[in-house]
Amino acid sequence: MIEAFTRLFDAFATLSTFEMVFHAAWATLLGIAVGSLPGLTATMGVALLTTLTYSLPREAAILVLICMYVGAIYGGSRSAILLNIPGTPASAATTLDGFPLAKQGRAAYAMSVATTGSTLGTLVGIVMLVALAPALSDLALKFGSFEYFWLAVFGVLISGQLTSGTTPVKGYIAGILGLMVAMIGSEGLHAHVRFSFGFDQLNGGIGLIPAMVGAFGLAEVLMVMWQPKAQVVRSEREKGAGLPRFMEAWKYRVTVLRSGIIGTIVGLIPGVGEDIGAWASYAAAKRKSKERDQFGKGSIEGLTAAETGNSAVVPGALIPALTLAVPGSAPAAVLIAALFIHGIRPGPMIMIEQPDFIYLVAVMLFFATVAIFIFGISLAPVFEFVLRVPRERLMPVVFTLCVIGPYALTQRIFDIWVMVFFGFLGFALRRLGYPMPPLVLGIILGDLLDKNLRRGLTLSDGDLSPFFTRPFSMVFVALIVFTIMAGIPVVRRQVGRLSGAIANMGRGT
Amino acid sequence: MRADLYTAPALFVLGAAMSYGGYTMDRLEIRQIHPASIPGLLPMLLGAALMLASVVLFLQARNALASGPQPEADTGSTRDLVLTALSCGVYALLLVGNIPFPAATAIFVASFILIFEADPSRGKAHLARIAAIAIVLGVAVAAATSILFRYAFLVRLP
Repeated sequence: MIEAFTRLFDAFATLSTFEMVFHAAWATLLGIAVGSLPGLTATMGVALLTTLTYSLPREAAILVLICMYVGAIYGGSRSAILLNIPGTPASAATTLDGFPLAKQGRAAYAMSVATTGSTLGTLVGIVMLVALAPALSDLALKFGSFEYFWLAVFGVLISGQLTSGTTPVKGYIAGILGLMVAMIGSEGLHAHVRFSFGFDQLNGGIGLIPAMVGAFGLAEVLMVMWQPKAQVVRSEREKGAGLPRFMEAWKYRVTVLRSGIIGTIVGLIPGVGEDIGAWASYAAAKRKSKERDQFGKGSIEGLTAAETGNSAVVPGALIPALTLAVPGSAPAAVLIAALFIHGIRPGPMIMIEQPDFIYLVAVMLFFATVAIFIFGISLAPVFEFVLRVPRERLMPVVFTLCVIGPYALTQRIFDIWVMVFFGFLGFALRRLGYPMPPLVLGIILGDLLDKNLRRGLTLSDGDLSPFFTRPFSMVFVALIVFTIMAGIPVVRRQVGRLSGAIANMGRGT
Repeated sequence: MRADLYTAPALFVLGAAMSYGGYTMDRLEIRQIHPASIPGLLPMLLGAALMLASVVLFLQARNALASGPQPEADTGSTRDLVLTALSCGVYALLLVGNIPFPAATAIFVASFILIFEADPSRGKAHLARIAAIAIVLGVAVAAATSILFRYAFLVRLP
């Protein structure tokens, strides 16, 4: 405990320089602007900014990316409140109560509630990051090839299940497609080149950054230009409406704490992300609220729950990303790629090789939280102005960065083609109802899955039993079976009926 | 979704091709690797999993269609989509790499704004104003990105 505080203090001292504060300020500001604009997501922002951080020192680069991530997730609330369009998918639940408040002429008030909720949500997540990450890292050291194989399978399955709405099979398919993409190029055990079809450029595999920039950048550009234009609701400048809403936060302190914990736990689940964190927190708040009839009509509690929940996912998603190299969300997947680029190897060894790094990340998140609070309260009218930039002028600028960003990493025209391919593929898959996070997680986890399956089989001399009999493996197998069963509608209905019958029997006795 | 009835068979074929590719992949016997670590193992399994998932998708889509009309998907402007895809495709696949990056970017940004903002029915003054905005923004974006990447990040521009 004391050691953790000492490391946190050291991390704070390391990052408390003018240069770092400056980086935190501009990156968070940019993140809020990116998140505010419908069509620019946190994943896209982090992916594009990764390409701009190659020449920065390691700590500064990671700080910039984390501030972009936190800023963009928070910034999504602006357009959710003013346009009824979530700036990022994370703010979808925010529209339910944020937009009705804006229509009542209380947009500035709603934005200040969202700012306070996001700030508190991230703080809850940071506390849980510091508490859980070292423990999870210790636990992960006990994992062998068999457990890592199941972890990768579970990650892709649960991500597919929770992000695909009513059709889990589409989530699974997206995950399998991502894993298939990861099969391209030189494999990790024998350096045999697979599925390169004679293209030398494919020998090294598909780059994650070009694929992500395409799937989240070009696909978003196409989506934004395809959809009808949105109309901005003008916020009234009522006196004091933009001030921090600590009284409301105190009134709904249980909701804040619950949403923060739910958000962080959702963040821990591989490849699920902020939108699910917000929805889960919103649903829990509605179920427990005394004012549930107000939900959807401009409920302050609902808005607080949604914003606290989505912001708490950010630190939560970084916990598995840092300790297992398994991202908790799509932007965290890009962050993993960025960590490798900057010479940091996320995974169970991180607490041994770089024990201070997790605490540095916690302090970086804290800087980003302070920045969103200050900017959110003081610059609300500026972000309203940003929302009025015509999409016809913004999108070509975004696409220019989508082209030059992936090129800058390897200086290969081929990576621009990869970006374009994944852009069109991402758009088509989205239109057909396939979620993107499992696809991304598949690309990230393909190597882990492949190496650990074959390494495990080699260790056991082809015997499958260790995959099912080792204690941690058994836990993962049980979780996977449960996940798949929960995705089958007939099973879900039967379980619902059974639990209803048991509840009725309980009431009868 | 009706489209699932068509995408499911395509995914099934993709899965079958992946499995076949994994099955026929070099087993590296000459390097005496363990038979359980052949490179084609996971591709075979992934192909099989995709085939299974596509069958489930097809059955679900067929049952859903049989149970009644489906809610209509969101609609947008196909014209805007095609124009965006064409502009982006021409810029990324044809212009970049064949002409200097600053010129390609200026042309792309200016044309994009002109395509989507210029409305000939609103008169010459409107067209002149949009053209001026398009040119200024095109040159500014091209100059800013080129200078940033060339001199700040030391990238050899395409």
